[in-house]
Amino acid sequence: MARMKFLCDAERCIECNGCVTACKNEHEVPWGINRRRVVTINDGQVGAEKSMSVACMHCSDAPCMAVCPVDCFYKTEDGVVLHDKDLCIGCGYCFYACPFGAPQFPASNASAPDGRSTDWFGARGKMDKCTFCAGGPEENGSQEEFAKYGRNRLSEGKLPICAEMCSTKALLGGDGDVLADIYRERVTVRGKGSEVWGWGTAYGKPDKQSDAGSATGKAEQSS
Amino acid sequence: MVRTLLVAIWLVVCSALGGAAAIAVADDAAVATDSAQQQVNRQAQQPLNNAPVWRGVRSGAAHSTQATGREAGVLIQSAGETWRQIRNGPITLIGGLLLILVPIAIALFYGLKGPLKLHGQPTGKLVQRFSSWERAIHWSTAIAFVVLAVTGVLLLFGKHILIPVIGHAGFAWFATIAKNVHNIVGPLFIFCVACMFIVFVRDNIWHGIDWEWLKKAPQVLSGKAHVPSGKYNAAEKGWFWGGVALLGLVVGASGLILNFPNFEQTRFTMQIANIVHGVGALLFVAASLGHIYMGTIGTEGAYKAMRTGYVDETWAKEHHELWLNEVKS
Ligand code: SF4
Ligand code: SF4
Repeated sequence: MARMKFLCDAERCIECNGCVTACKNEHEVPWGINRRRVVTINDGQVGAEKSMSVACMHCSDAPCMAVCPVDCFYKTEDGVVLHDKDLCIGCGYCFYACPFGAPQFPASNASAPDGRSTDWFGARGKMDKCTFCAGGPEENGSQEEFAKYGRNRLSEGKLPICAEMCSTKALLGGDGDVLADIYRERVTVRGKGSEVWGWGTAYGKPDKQSDAGSATGKAEQSS
Repeated sequence: MVRTLLVAIWLVVCSALGGAAAIAVADDAAVATDSAQQQVNRQAQQPLNNAPVWRGVRSGAAHSTQATGREAGVLIQSAGETWRQIRNGPITLIGGLLLILVPIAIALFYGLKGPLKLHGQPTGKLVQRFSSWERAIHWSTAIAFVVLAVTGVLLLFGKHILIPVIGHAGFAWFATIAKNVHNIVGPLFIFCVACMFIVFVRDNIWHGIDWEWLKKAPQVLSGKAHVPSGKYNAAEKGWFWGGVALLGLVVGASGLILNFPNFEQTRFTMQIANIVHGVGALLFVAASLGHIYMGTIGTEGAYKAMRTGYVDETWAKEHHELWLNEVKS
């Protein structure tokens, strides 16, 4: 069984924000909410700048799942972390707990016309996050599913649109073992630079990423 | 007056947090340029070694991004996992135990010692103990407190206790109500507590005689000894200062931070506030059980006093002798 993962190669990401745009368009994500974002470290510093795309990583031992007071998260057979918006009470706990800042709230994220958050009295609205293009609990491909979670590409046999659209193939999404193989090959060709950012946090220590093998063959990524 | 007090408290809390945030941001900026230089040097010596960048990823500092939203520039925040461990661990476990053990202890005490009864005969002469204004404040605070306690307990423990019984959809229905009621009644409760503090503080000032009472507390509570006290005895004053005033302030301030995320406070601030709120609230609820017990079935005549405002002279003499003397003179 495939264990779905995201991998972003910081040596390749050019901060084009194509993944962000593709996601917003594919799922008709509401104004103010970004399910995926690109973050640049040392922006504008020649020789030091690195960009990486980040969204929900679909963690193995997912903190969001653990703290949700209404237990609205569930994990698919593919290891994708999904949630039920009908149950969500908008408490924001998943946002406190998530290492990657993935959970988003319609009232928190500058969704008001004047760009100010409207989450007074903790009224954030229902949580929204990356679904790995796998929809939600509604029937696959249904109108209701699309309205709440966006398109369910996985059920159509397609991989996440962000990674599919990535022009440099910095962002990969799919079976963790396959991603690890691709990445290992890149590292071999480059000779150095074997760290995959975020994998330690999302999927555990390299020796525990058993369902993925080690991305690099070396146990040295720290993030 | 009350509003000024609230605003003052709020400002103190905000400025403390704001100051801390400003220091953190300044630090981040320094670290950022520093790590950029480190990365440049590292690339020159060892091409493709990104260690300084990975440190930047893990630092929890905000980097550049086109995305808007809370802390969008932060790649990884590690504190969330710590918060999860504390909340799902000790707070849920010890807090849950506390809410089970305290009622058991009270029930045992009641079973063994029974209620505090009057020794003498009621005289039939009534003395006014609480004005209608005092009673109105007490009961508004009490009702708000119970509503907050029930909804709060539901949100913390419902996942473990109610979902297995009524299912996810049923519980989510309750939880939606609980969350919204909790968030709206919360500020009302703060207002009530502030009023209560102002109205009740005068008679709750600590006096030397209260030490006497405290020393003999076990005997007094089992009705074997008598230490005269003013309008409130040491235990009541303890509840006033430790419960109403201190825990009221703690849960109030932390609650406001959580209740108004629109001030762009960081996740770290809210994690801390959530822990403080949880610990404070659980202690508050546990302590309130003692107060509720003593004010109802634990002491003959106590409930009637807060209900009607009047007590019998015998009751006043046996429980609050100094106060009775004062009232009579
Ligand atoms: S990245 Fe965040 S939202 Fe996604 S599974 Fe992990 S903790 Fe949950
Ligand atoms: S905001 Fe919704 S999904 Fe997130 S923890 Fe709260 S109830 Fe669960």
